[in-house]
Amino acid sequence: MRYLAAILMSVTIIGLSGLAAKHMTTAALTDENAIYNSFEKTESLWLYSDKIGGAAATNVERAKVAIAGPLGLSSKEAVYFIAVEDNQGRPLLSSCDYRVTGSSIDARWWSLTLYDSETQHYVPNAINRSSWNSAAIPKGTNGDWVINVSQTSKQETWLPSQERGARPFELNLRVYNPSAETRAKIPNITLPNVVRASC
Amino acid sequence: MLSAATFLAVRSSVVDQAPKNVMANIESRIVKGAGGWNACYHNRVYGPRTAAARRANPDSIISSMAYDVSNGPVRVSGFTWPKYWSLSLYQQNSSNYFVTNDSQLEQSEFNFVIAKEGDKQSVSGGTIVTSPTDKGIMLIRRFASREADMPAIIENQNAMYCGPA
Repeated sequence: MRYLAAILMSVTIIGLSGLAAKHMTTAALTDENAIYNSFEKTESLWLYSDKIGGAAATNVERAKVAIAGPLGLSSKEAVYFIAVEDNQGRPLLSSCDYRVTGSSIDARWWSLTLYDSETQHYVPNAINRSSWNSAAIPKGTNGDWVINVSQTSKQETWLPSQERGARPFELNLRVYNPSAETRAKIPNITLPNVVRASC
Repeated sequence: MLSAATFLAVRSSVVDQAPKNVMANIESRIVKGAGGWNACYHNRVYGPRTAAARRANPDSIISSMAYDVSNGPVRVSGFTWPKYWSLSLYQQNSSNYFVTNDSQLEQSEFNFVIAKEGDKQSVSGGTIVTSPTDKGIMLIRRFASREADMPAIIENQNAMYCGPA
């Protein structure tokens, strides 16, 4: 009888521990606020990791990337920078307008895409635009450019955020085939400046 | 002690299994769209799509193939795209184990054969890439800087071959 009770208790402990581990691990892997925990922060507050898609990633890093942004390219081909804050360290929110300014990036091409941080998908909008790319963005004589992020329509280079409320979003800068010179400076290359214009 | 050991073992298993589950899910979507394993599946729509994967890049027009080399090597061939083209291969734990792009190839025609270790001898023609796992995903990315690129990209997609080597 005593042995039976001990076995039952062991089975119960194993079962409960297993369930707790499964629940807690799944929650940690899918938590949208923790996706970038292992990324490093650049001088300009963009987040960066050279382990996306790479064999050097830990199992946890690999699992998080697979869930949040599957099938990324290894840093040999493209590098990814994420902005979840403006240049003052404040979270990016759809209730504010932002002016994102940048200059030429010495690479084959780049694109800047806005995602809803909660859904981790594109933000539906009337003009069906979620990004600007290096070929399409209007540039000044020095190669400088501006993207206006806001809920409401802007005359030029508008990148729509969520239509209502103060919902978090992120900007994802993908740089394809950076030059050797750019690659040598990564992650501290000159990255776009995300400035809160109004709120 | 028993509780901690169980917790760690299950945690490790969940973490290890998560990318494999994601891969299996994407493979099943590709297989459904392509009509089977080892077949091309093309996105032919410009811009953001609600059916896209999380954090997909709307400026990159994708052709994909869910491959299974357990019954023999699989070929993918066609022509590159001048604005930017890359071919990447993902093993079942989601790692990007191979990537090449148009500037690294000597000509605009490409011909790759995905094979498992030991199957290399049975293939003629094409650059052989050994897949660490029997199943995986092949992605081709083409940079579409504007919607006007789409007719030529669709033509480029139609010239592709995905299938037994």
